[in-house]
Amino acid sequence: MRKPRPNSLQHEPLIYRLRAFVTNPANLLLVFFLLVLITLSLMPMVTMLTNMFTVHLGTEKKMYRLPVGSWTLTHFKKLFEGSDWSKVNFWEPLKNSFIVAIGAGILGIAIGGSIAWFVTRSDLKCKKFISSVFVFPYMMPAWTLALFWTNMFQNSKVGGGNIGMVEAVFGVCMPEWFVFGLFPMIVVIGMHYSPFAYLLIGGILKNMDATLEDSATILKASRWTIIRRITVPIVMPAILSTFLLIFSSGFSSYTVPVFLGSAVKTYTLSTKMRALIQAGYQGQGYIIAFISILMGCIILGINQWFTGKRKSFTTVTGKSGQVSLVKLRRANWPITIVLIIFISFVAIMPLISFALESVIRQPGNYRLSNMTLHFWIGTEASAYETGMIAGILLNDTMWKAVGRQVLLALVVALIVGTSGMLIGYACVRRRGSKLSRAVESLAFFPYLMPAMAFGTIYLAVATSENFKWLYGTFGLLVLVSAVKFLPFASRSGVNSMLQIAPEIEEAAIIFGVPWRKRMTRILFPIQKSSILSGYLLPVISVMREVALFTLLVPYARYLLTTMLFSFNETGYAQYGSAVTLLIILIIMIINGLTNKLTGASFDKGIGG
Amino acid sequence: MKRFLSLILVAIMVLGMIPAASAETVQEALAAAAKMTNEELYAKAKEEAKAGAQMKFYSTTSFAEKAAANFMTVYPELALVYNEIDDAETYTILGNTIGSGVKDTADMGLTQNGPDLQTYLLDEELAYTYFPEALKDVVDEKNQNPAIVTYINSLLIYHNGNGSVGVNNIWQLTEAEWKDKVFFKNPTNETVNINFLIMLTSPEWNAKLEAAYQARYGKAWEKGEFDTCALQFIDAFLKNVNYTYTSASKMAAGIASGAAGNMGLFVFSKLRKVDEADRGNLTVLQLENKVEGFSGFMYPIYATVFKDTDCPYTCALFINYLLSEEGFAGPKSWNSSQGYYSPNKTIAKPEDIQDEAYDYWTDCLVFEDLEYINEHFVDVYEFIATRVG
Repeated sequence: MRKPRPNSLQHEPLIYRLRAFVTNPANLLLVFFLLVLITLSLMPMVTMLTNMFTVHLGTEKKMYRLPVGSWTLTHFKKLFEGSDWSKVNFWEPLKNSFIVAIGAGILGIAIGGSIAWFVTRSDLKCKKFISSVFVFPYMMPAWTLALFWTNMFQNSKVGGGNIGMVEAVFGVCMPEWFVFGLFPMIVVIGMHYSPFAYLLIGGILKNMDATLEDSATILKASRWTIIRRITVPIVMPAILSTFLLIFSSGFSSYTVPVFLGSAVKTYTLSTKMRALIQAGYQGQGYIIAFISILMGCIILGINQWFTGKRKSFTTVTGKSGQVSLVKLRRANWPITIVLIIFISFVAIMPLISFALESVIRQPGNYRLSNMTLHFWIGTEASAYETGMIAGILLNDTMWKAVGRQVLLALVVALIVGTSGMLIGYACVRRRGSKLSRAVESLAFFPYLMPAMAFGTIYLAVATSENFKWLYGTFGLLVLVSAVKFLPFASRSGVNSMLQIAPEIEEAAIIFGVPWRKRMTRILFPIQKSSILSGYLLPVISVMREVALFTLLVPYARYLLTTMLFSFNETGYAQYGSAVTLLIILIIMIINGLTNKLTGASFDKGIGG
Repeated sequence: MKRFLSLILVAIMVLGMIPAASAETVQEALAAAAKMTNEELYAKAKEEAKAGAQMKFYSTTSFAEKAAANFMTVYPELALVYNEIDDAETYTILGNTIGSGVKDTADMGLTQNGPDLQTYLLDEELAYTYFPEALKDVVDEKNQNPAIVTYINSLLIYHNGNGSVGVNNIWQLTEAEWKDKVFFKNPTNETVNINFLIMLTSPEWNAKLEAAYQARYGKAWEKGEFDTCALQFIDAFLKNVNYTYTSASKMAAGIASGAAGNMGLFVFSKLRKVDEADRGNLTVLQLENKVEGFSGFMYPIYATVFKDTDCPYTCALFINYLLSEEGFAGPKSWNSSQGYYSPNKTIAKPEDIQDEAYDYWTDCLVFEDLEYINEHFVDVYEFIATRVG
């Protein structure tokens, strides 16, 4: 039996071990990425930690009467000491963030997991329609769903008494807790991330060997017992991983709480973090950012404790030759119809709503006489008391923002996709080594950092003395996006490389094929579709990201998403709806084109 | 080797002096520009344009985009680039980009929130003030340093679907009847709103609130739970306000199309965002009857020139333009809308606009005083932030 390579070298002189180490491209890649990730992922943490203990210009300088840069513990005392200030700015928002994150996690898994089961394990009708449309909410920025929610359910008895679609059409007024506050935040975030659960859990269910279920059926176990005792335990790692992902995203969500919480004075940690930094309490803002990261780490720890190890995103466990679908019989059509109605509501209605909102002049009036295309193609003379000169399709600023966003998405995809593939290759080839584990963990770390906190950390880095030149540049956006969106690409890279037997590459090595050729002529072509999906996912993430960029763009209309957020915040609802539609359209075009040309699609990048 | 090191040291010293020299030049250029006529400035600005300068400016007001377009028709050889900036991020972005060595930073800004402008830019010498001598007689001295190019007011405006709401004293809005019916943008997210609330604690406005209290309740205000009458007012007012609308535009449109009797304290000029069919639903409280206490607040937009600019004369010419009748009252510019007021006393509001002159509002609106706010920000901010929720 052949001994593993490291053992065969451990008694050799250091020089030989070193030579053997550096001649293995996987080792060099791991060292390179370790250094890069320490710099880009851990070093910013140091800057953030420093900012938690120092006095900043403005409010803090005035308040503490200390020079800028002085060390202090006052930020901690003030934030945690149990006063009204502490309750309002930390403890109450912390509680709300927990409720939203846990609720959204459970809801997302319940919706996404159920639909995944129906699509992969039953003979449900219209599967193609359901599976392709259900991922739409993931393509939309989360807060646009929040706007959709208020457009639908606001009514004459809550908020400002403005009539939404449900009241206009059915005359029904939903109660305040349904329209504003924690409940809609949970529903909106849960809905937004349920495609995530669908793709991750569906990926496992699709590849699950049906023998176990069939055996249970033969032994006369009930359908419920089979699901409870066989199906759920098998998908448990995927459920926990999905919970981790939705919890982290829900905990750090900024935009959804802004739009759904303000009316009932319900705030989360992210909204408080931004308010504190804006008011000049940077030290406390950074402490909140740090706590958000800590929460992500704790959930990751719990996840690892449950699953034993954090490789639960690996969804391909070997193709089963036997897939027997559960027959829904007479319940098939009713379930199909219910699912189609539900999916149409969460995935198609928002698009219809945005299309309508982008052409109406007077809010709440959906008559034809109230419609106009001015917000799309209006000229300067006809545009309706605009925030821009002319409709969005005729506006230079808008097209420049589109150009920057698409360019950013493509550049980031190129960097992240390539890095993910190389990290995947190196980690798989050196699987089990400390170096491999360190790189894999560091590559995943940015996911745990809330986008808002991540943006804040990079703000601190880019505004520090040595890196000031970086602030406000396109390069900073590329850098921050590349680090933030690396986790999925690296997971995708690891998963795809795991599927390739090492013997294929070893055969090429025997024939003296250099590493570059092995990668480009053998490994990449074999896993082309899966690797390209790893490139596609960052495109979608960048195209709909806003919280990460809010503090880093040089001005609000720099990117399409920050422009959209600015429109939504400042009340240009028609422009906002038009831009939302445009974003979704661009994502669909990129996804469709890539799928057509290469067979890759973003769901494959997640694990579907 | 020594010679080589000396050369390097000299080079470093020379390079190190360049920013200081260029900062000096901008200030000198602005001082010179203040004494020039517009024709002379235009000639200088054309030289800057020929040298490749393109003037980029940030603005928190979207009308500036139109003003820039009008400017370029008057001065066709100059190019201006407008960039909108969100109020919340203004000074974080400017404080970090100006003087940082970042390429293509802004040349000037039209920004609100004077106290932060002072703290983050002017005190740090990242921005300079400029005011043309030719206009010193027609603009009050308090509006010259830093130069104010327009005032904007936020007024109490209500939905008149049920007729008059009968509010003639500001303390009425703190009573149970108005719970959740007064709409206001969250002051911890909106700097001009927090500045307005801080200004209420000034001796002048505290006295006015005490007088309004006496007029409403027939007795003098007495110290109790709160040290001042203003703090009691802020506490009670914030308990009643509703933050449903996250922007002034949404508030204007939302109140106009929402429930009758609702009241908002929002930017007057946003009425232009309300559809014509709904606009008749809104009544400006002050224009219906005088309000004891106050009926809103007024905040300025300041023009400052940034340290890194390579076109100070173009910036100066643009500020002159904004302060002139041609710039302020040009087609689709600030003066064509309600709620914008030039500090230039020779520019009147057009008669066909339902608004009053700047002087009319000076008695009934709370004006931003950046020195007072700077001095009292911390204490009052924390009092307010804990009551916002």
